[in-house]
Amino acid sequence: SSLKQQNCERLQTAKDEDEDVADPIDDREIFDLIRSINDPEHPLSLEELNVVEQVRVRVDDQENTVGVEFTPTIPHCSMATLIGLSIKVKLLRSLPERFKIDVHITPGMHTSEDAVNKQLADKERVAAALENSQLLEVVNQCLISNARTS
Amino acid sequence: MESRESELKGLGADFVFGFVQSVDGERDPRNLLLAFHIARKIVHEGYDLGKFTEELFEVTSCYFPIDFSPPANDPHGITQEELVLALRVVLTGTPRFAEFLLPLIIEKLDSDVQSAKLDSLQTLTACASVYEHKDLAQFLPGLWASLRREVFQTASERVESAGLAAVGTLTACLSRSVLNSDSEDSLNVFLELVLKDCQHHLCEPDLKLVWPSAKLLQATSTASYRASHRVAAAVLPSLIEQYNSRTQVSHTIQLGRSIIINVGVRLTFLTVGHDLINSDNDVISLPTGTGAFSLEEVISVCHSLQKIAEQAQDTEETGGVFHDVIPRLLGLALQAALQGENIPTNSLLAGQTASRAVSLFLDGDVSFLPENTIPAQIQLLKVRFQCDSRSQSQMVCLLMGCVCWLPRTVEVPQMDRLLLELLELSCTCDHPLSYTSAAKCYAGLVNKSPAGETLKRISTELDSASSPVRTQAFTLLLWVSKALLLRYHPLSTTLTDKLFSLLSDPELGWLAADGFSLLMSDSPDVLNRGSHADVRIMYRQRFFTENSAKLVEGFNAAVQEKKSGYLKALSHIVNNLPRQVQLTELPALLPLLLEALSCPDQGVQVSTLSCLQPVLLDPPSALITQLEVCLTSSSQKVRIASLRCIHALSRFPEHEVRLWPALVLRALAAPLDDHKRVVRSEAAVARNEWFLLGSPGGR
Repeated sequence: SSLKQQNCERLQTAKDEDEDVADPIDDREIFDLIRSINDPEHPLSLEELNVVEQVRVRVDDQENTVGVEFTPTIPHCSMATLIGLSIKVKLLRSLPERFKIDVHITPGMHTSEDAVNKQLADKERVAAALENSQLLEVVNQCLISNARTS
Repeated sequence: MESRESELKGLGADFVFGFVQSVDGERDPRNLLLAFHIARKIVHEGYDLGKFTEELFEVTSCYFPIDFSPPANDPHGITQEELVLALRVVLTGTPRFAEFLLPLIIEKLDSDVQSAKLDSLQTLTACASVYEHKDLAQFLPGLWASLRREVFQTASERVESAGLAAVGTLTACLSRSVLNSDSEDSLNVFLELVLKDCQHHLCEPDLKLVWPSAKLLQATSTASYRASHRVAAAVLPSLIEQYNSRTQVSHTIQLGRSIIINVGVRLTFLTVGHDLINSDNDVISLPTGTGAFSLEEVISVCHSLQKIAEQAQDTEETGGVFHDVIPRLLGLALQAALQGENIPTNSLLAGQTASRAVSLFLDGDVSFLPENTIPAQIQLLKVRFQCDSRSQSQMVCLLMGCVCWLPRTVEVPQMDRLLLELLELSCTCDHPLSYTSAAKCYAGLVNKSPAGETLKRISTELDSASSPVRTQAFTLLLWVSKALLLRYHPLSTTLTDKLFSLLSDPELGWLAADGFSLLMSDSPDVLNRGSHADVRIMYRQRFFTENSAKLVEGFNAAVQEKKSGYLKALSHIVNNLPRQVQLTELPALLPLLLEALSCPDQGVQVSTLSCLQPVLLDPPSALITQLEVCLTSSSQKVRIASLRCIHALSRFPEHEVRLWPALVLRALAAPLDDHKRVVRSEAAVARNEWFLLGSPGGR
């Protein structure tokens, strides 16, 4: 993951240094949160596997909405729910409470996309899933950060 | 022979031949004695042996070893001893006999008869002192095998000591060799044999071969400079390692000490010892140079002495070694200094040497220094501005070593005069090492001496700091402050306040900031518990408590460029506090420290981080509270730094932080929505880490 990330490290601008200027939350920022999530099966990140791409991320800071489309590696991918869950959890942990987070499969990219999308959209289902320690374990392992270059 | 020498010599080899024939078969001791005397003359006084060398040897050596019991009431009084010695002189008389004598000796050493052994060993010793290495070279393995046997398996002390003596002279003989480029180094060959058989025994303290091996090694190393080098270099590393690794060290010390005390060139050993102590693994470089020692050697000797002193047992014997060696070193050092070179050094001395040192420095009394060519009445403390005598003024660091390490019960003679001289030297000399050492020495003395007139003088002297000697005055101020602070003398507050005020001084500000490190930390060469200084308990804590407010105030009032000085001073003080105190005091200073982290001065960053580090090692929950406060700072840098600290806290051992996650996660919720992106990103990272803490699949 490091190669891609290094090439795309976000440049600091003068505005960033200025205390008084507010930086809006943009697509890039959301993408930076999810790009290095680990794939549960392969030793690669979701970005490296092209499961997530910046173009498929939409955020509206004013409307408090975030939308992420993700593309499973193969149409029958059995890990699709897990991947989706990892993205959702990462965003839940990393974003202010005001945001409504929508994570779904890129349309037409998976055989069971409706079922998966429904699960991911259901708050209670998600909460219950995270109380399952085995599931939580797997999710956490996807979220363990690789060395962050700072 | 005495009167007709030339005529007899004129007969040539025939004379020898005739002599040999007439001696053959002789049994009467009187005749034999005479025969031996004649043979000695033949051998020693240049008679031509022709081709009858071997015959001459055989006819005399067949009586070796002499076994003669004079009959009772013998009117002639010839003793075995006489015969033995007379014969020995013949046999060892010429190197031409070597090829015959040495095998004979080896053969006779095998004998069970003790007197035969003894005679052989003594004969060997005798011939080795006249032979050269080439005579011995081919017989070394055989000789060594027998000698080793005699020492390892001896039942008799006489045989053992004769054997050791033989080893010694053998080594000495081999050492006398002059090496050509194509000749083998016989000494090396021999020492290889010795080391191969003896070295490993030194590491087996319970087997009975330790001491015989040690004695053999000692015998070789005392024989010559070259041998001592070689043996010490080979043996010391394992001895030292042994010493370090074993609890039962007495025998190792004794071994080491026996080598120290008995090596003829004592200082050479120590120089080698230093290289070894400092060497990584097997990289050993032996110093070159004979006779007068180079400065590096003296320095390294001093260093290794120090290490040995630290590790050696405090016994009379050890003390004796040092008391002997130190004045030599002083002498050496002085001599080297007079040749214009630098020597920093350090040493332990007792009161007697201290008073010698004082009389040396104050009055130029050099009488106690052995073998020196130093001019009497040398003025070591008076030298000020002559640049080429600065090496002499540096010697005051030796004085410091002498007088500042005495127990308080030992009085330093001529104290007042000494203090006066030192004060002068420290305030006026232009050479940094000299005036610093003078200041340290002064401080070391002032710390222990009862308060009085002397102390009042300091404040008056310092207040008149005029520009050319400001640095010197500052150095003195620093050291005296330390001396008085340690014993919490009332005057110390005045002095430390002066130091605080100097933090904003354009010239000395940075020196003052760093000076606090010196003030608070342990100094190895003076004013520490080891040197019996007057150190009150909790002085650092007290100092911090009484002055931290002052420092914070100063920091807040200072201009931007000067702030770092205050921070540096603060971090130096805090770094040296006992851990418990740090934990209680630091959280309150946290805003200050975190702001310091964002200071561009790397020095400040480093000292601040090292300030924070002890707290981070064992964090109190108050830390989180403080960090939370920092999260609301108006400076994004502070917010970022606090977030990073909170992130770092997640790395702690679980048991220390297991109660915190809820607290932290809540605290981190708001920064997720910070108006600056960088802050948000740091908050996200930290928060995610804390989620993983203690969670399945997490860290």
